Amino acid sequence: MANTDFLLISTLPEDRAFAASAAESAGLTLITATTAKEGATIVAEKEPRVIFLDASSEAQYKEFETAIQETVGLFSDKINANAIHFLTSSNIEKVQYLIESPLFGHFIMRNYHDPVATGLYYGKILKATLSERAFGLNTLLPNAKVQIVKLQKTTQKQDAVEAVKNFFIAAKFQSRMATVIANAVDELLMNAMFDAPVDEAGRPLFNSMVRSTSMALIGRQSIEMHVGYDGHYAAITAVDLFGSLDKVKLLTHITKIYTEEEYKIRTSVAGAGIGLATVFRSGGSFFFVSESGVRTEVTVFFKRTDNFREFKDQFRFLSTQFYF
Amino acid sequence: MINVVKEQKGNSLLVRLTGSIEESVNFEQIIGLTSPELIVNCRDVPRINSVGVKAWIKYFQSLQAKNIKLHFIECSTAIVEQINLISNFIPEGCVESIYVPFSCATCKSELVGLFKTDDLKKLEFKLPPLKCTKCSGQASFDDIPEEYFSFLMR
Repeated sequence: MANTDFLLISTLPEDRAFAASAAESAGLTLITATTAKEGATIVAEKEPRVIFLDASSEAQYKEFETAIQETVGLFSDKINANAIHFLTSSNIEKVQYLIESPLFGHFIMRNYHDPVATGLYYGKILKATLSERAFGLNTLLPNAKVQIVKLQKTTQKQDAVEAVKNFFIAAKFQSRMATVIANAVDELLMNAMFDAPVDEAGRPLFNSMVRSTSMALIGRQSIEMHVGYDGHYAAITAVDLFGSLDKVKLLTHITKIYTEEEYKIRTSVAGAGIGLATVFRSGGSFFFVSESGVRTEVTVFFKRTDNFREFKDQFRFLSTQFYF
Repeated sequence: MINVVKEQKGNSLLVRLTGSIEESVNFEQIIGLTSPELIVNCRDVPRINSVGVKAWIKYFQSLQAKNIKLHFIECSTAIVEQINLISNFIPEGCVESIYVPFSCATCKSELVGLFKTDDLKKLEFKLPPLKCTKCSGQASFDDIPEEYFSFLMR
């Protein structure tokens, strides 16, 4: 029988409610530990398939890292970043200790609002991470109707972006929300077209190419956009066939903010390096899944809300799944 | 795709931007040489992507280096979001008025109200509700004040 153990290391009641609901949704059995040491012992003995850790402070995270190092070792096959979910109350740019962690797999910002309902939703994401390969929008949003758009040329991006905007306006999203979603799609498609393609040595092929360049998207350069909506959540995936996503670069870009520091224009690359960070700060959640040299899928999620204030303040996560 | 309508007013050039700002934008080409004073009306800019942001910063920084006086008026919510996210998106003190989003509690309609930035500061960002133009219900500010007005609180 497959292992269904799901370990939560937290003393917070809201984390327990969230994790219990996520476990139920994903068909897992929740085990709770209140200290990092206790959690590490469970890791060593039971090898849980999923670990949720309250990593609100650097001290809490370090305690866990040390306990894991002392029991199974940080690079043991009993511990896998794809299975570790850090829970915090801070924005991602404030938790640099997690971004730099060799154990980083998933970041969950603890604005659950309703921990049970949010846990049920996140449980579906969790379930997807347990599959052999977490590809496919229907894996992440099982009840959504998914439309697939194949882009033939880079210049079709703007039409695709406008079509997504109009689709979500028709689905009763506020136009401002639909605009945020459209902008997210714009960034995902641009990255898939110009940043994902690499040569056999992994060197970028088009990252210095002007983004308005008209280029055919054929063969391995094919791009797909998958658009789904289940009545509550909008999700859009950009698919490329390079599998070149780099976790360190990704996390560096997404955590970089310019609210205090000035944005300096880099001319060596044509992209701006701020797209994903902007989307994350606008209320979007991300699921990145990449199989090295094969395929990358980047999905952005937004919950439909009655007003923009709630939209911007919605529950957010950033998940990564890397297969080598 | 962005369009520009230009109007010369004495020493000032007024430009009205209309449309989304993205990778095809070429501000040097569409605005061209400017007067000693440039007034940019951003009312009809519904969206700007990251490459558009980069082009924007590059262009307006080049004007600032030439000592051209810049004024940004009627900034749309999309422009305000970028002003808040990127500290040097618009030079400090150049934003004169912005659109503020409201949402009707009764019919859920989206509305915007135009406010001078000086007036927003005087109000301490506590905005009175608006009367909904569609159902006459009460519409209240629809964003997070600490985020939407953060550039005015810096």
